[in-house]
Amino acid sequence: MKELLRTLVEIPAPPGYEGLVRNQIREWIEPLVDEIRIDPLGNLLAVRNQANAPRLMLVAHMDEIGLMITHVDQQGFARFVALGGVMPIHCVGGRVRFLNGAQGVIGVEKNPASSEIPPLEKMFIDFGASSVEDCPVRVGDVAVFDRPFLDLGKRVVSKAMDDRVGVAVLIETLRRLEQSVFELYFVFSVQEEVGVRGATVAAFGVEPDLGLAVDVTATGDTPKGHRMEVRLGKGPAIKIRDAGMIADPRVVRWMIQTAEKAKIPYQREILEFGGTDARAIQLSRSGVPTGVLSIPCRYIHAPSEMVDMEDVENAVRLLLRLLRTSHPFELM
Amino acid sequence: MNTYSLSILLRRLTAPPGLSGYEDSIAQEVEALWKPLVDQVSRNRLGSVIGFRSGRGAAPRPRLMLVAHQDSIGLMVSGIQEGFLRLTEIGGVDHRILPGQLVQIHGKRTLSAVVVQPPPFLLPPEAQGGSVPLPYLWADTGLEESEVRRWVRVGDPVSFARNYLELGSDLVCSPSLDNRASLCALTLCLQELCSRQPVWDVWAVSSTQEEETLGGAVTSGFQIRPDIAVVIDVTHASGPSTPSHKTYPLGRGVTLGWGPTVHPKLYETFKDLAEKLEIPYKMEPMPRYSGTDADRLQTVAEGIPTMVISIPLRYMHTPVEIVSKKDIQRAARLITEFAATIEIGFMDKLRWEETPKT
Repeated sequence: MKELLRTLVEIPAPPGYEGLVRNQIREWIEPLVDEIRIDPLGNLLAVRNQANAPRLMLVAHMDEIGLMITHVDQQGFARFVALGGVMPIHCVGGRVRFLNGAQGVIGVEKNPASSEIPPLEKMFIDFGASSVEDCPVRVGDVAVFDRPFLDLGKRVVSKAMDDRVGVAVLIETLRRLEQSVFELYFVFSVQEEVGVRGATVAAFGVEPDLGLAVDVTATGDTPKGHRMEVRLGKGPAIKIRDAGMIADPRVVRWMIQTAEKAKIPYQREILEFGGTDARAIQLSRSGVPTGVLSIPCRYIHAPSEMVDMEDVENAVRLLLRLLRTSHPFELM
Repeated sequence: MNTYSLSILLRRLTAPPGLSGYEDSIAQEVEALWKPLVDQVSRNRLGSVIGFRSGRGAAPRPRLMLVAHQDSIGLMVSGIQEGFLRLTEIGGVDHRILPGQLVQIHGKRTLSAVVVQPPPFLLPPEAQGGSVPLPYLWADTGLEESEVRRWVRVGDPVSFARNYLELGSDLVCSPSLDNRASLCALTLCLQELCSRQPVWDVWAVSSTQEEETLGGAVTSGFQIRPDIAVVIDVTHASGPSTPSHKTYPLGRGVTLGWGPTVHPKLYETFKDLAEKLEIPYKMEPMPRYSGTDADRLQTVAEGIPTMVISIPLRYMHTPVEIVSKKDIQRAARLITEFAATIEIGFMDKLRWEETPKT
């Protein structure tokens, strides 16, 4: 699964520009599903039919945070804005790669108060160009952070674990899946990082009876880090709440009972910031009972997001069990 | 059929904690109260309670949706350390009043606990001096760590201890009056409508998760597709040193919302009705958002003309919220009369005209 993940994270896919990763996913999963289509916003929807079964929508988002050029000056320096939650603290000295292959480094204006983190408006991208004609990008071009996959053994690092690790979990689940008690919609969504837009329309189109997002969550196990119970390597996390939603308590119970029965390690997650595609599913149409299976991840939205492969493997195992286990509550 | 007095209803409706997302207790109470009052009671997928009462007009009848949210703010266990509980909030809690509060931990067993703060010298410098922020507060159950871990887990909801108090002849003090006061008004309205003959269908909604996502109203709105929605919620009442342009006097009537969330024709209709019934009211400007279910309800499907009626409440998002029973009665009367007298052709007159007749 590490190789699957490595391939996925190395493909650039900023919000709204997910085509390359979508093509790759489609190539892998088309033989594994009964039906596959791309909706008008670019979500990839793959269906495993099951007559007379409740419909479960699984979602992982394809996009990663990135940036977009807003201006190129006469000397060939380019100004940019964030696509999604890019944090200035991680930018200075960083390298970026554009969809057209161009690479550049992020510089910053002379900073009078050097202890302060400058805002993105004070930064620019240097392509090594000396004029606007030399500059390899134009206004509107988009980039992602350029940081190669790092294999630390049990733990792996990339700029796009959020949420390519969720994508990998869904693909691996599809590969190992035999039977399910649900009709399954595997949705690989677009534009999560700019406000769960893909999942909003996908959920409206799919009309699921039950929803489950697979995404990353933060951890509280680094020096003086977040006050949070989730730790890397202690199992996938079952979301109870985040800033965007209260996970449906019935779905939470189903997930916990299934994990305990299968003796798969899990953690109870409360994330006090951030949200996922699950919120969009929960509030779709007349409402959908929805939960989240989270992969613990350190340094989310930094170019070096770290996950533990054991958590990833256990997430796949738990998901496979869930797909074979009827939800223990009435769907109205 | 029993009809209940306002006081009894309010007592029953403030007793269940029903924190956002964990609303089974309040939903059951609402179902029990509404069942004899409407043709059909159901719960929607996210947990809103929906009561339907058929109108006597010729089908297809227009639909009036009356919404009050059932969920309440509160706390949640976010960590266990040496047997003490760390807390996070559900909805928005006024942190300043937390130390010293009695709470209930809804774990595998319901435990009583008290919220405590460490002495100032044990706090980091940035947390000293003012009110202690939530990350430094604890809930103390008085139990050994092993006992605590046996009954309590991360994610268990924590509610304020229930304490219903009548203050003088008109005021009531309790946790969760936001928004059980409005739910009480809505229930009184349903009681009253039993002896009336509305021509419109009436859909009463006790909506879920207003304090978090406005999720109950938006999903119920999609399900019901009403022609008009009236949201009943609470607003800030005047208290010690509150600015008079941001608060409304307690016990002196309801407020009628005015702003982009509110359909101007509905405002005008409610204003005229209040004047006719001699119900005191104040216009409450809502320049951007109303801060109620109406904000999202308005843009459901192809759009829903929305009205906001508010009951003034002091000390919002604390365990000692205070409302006036008279104001609840007034809100109930106003929505009852609206539901009972709205004509079958009302929608034909509904045009978005910006200037209200004052």
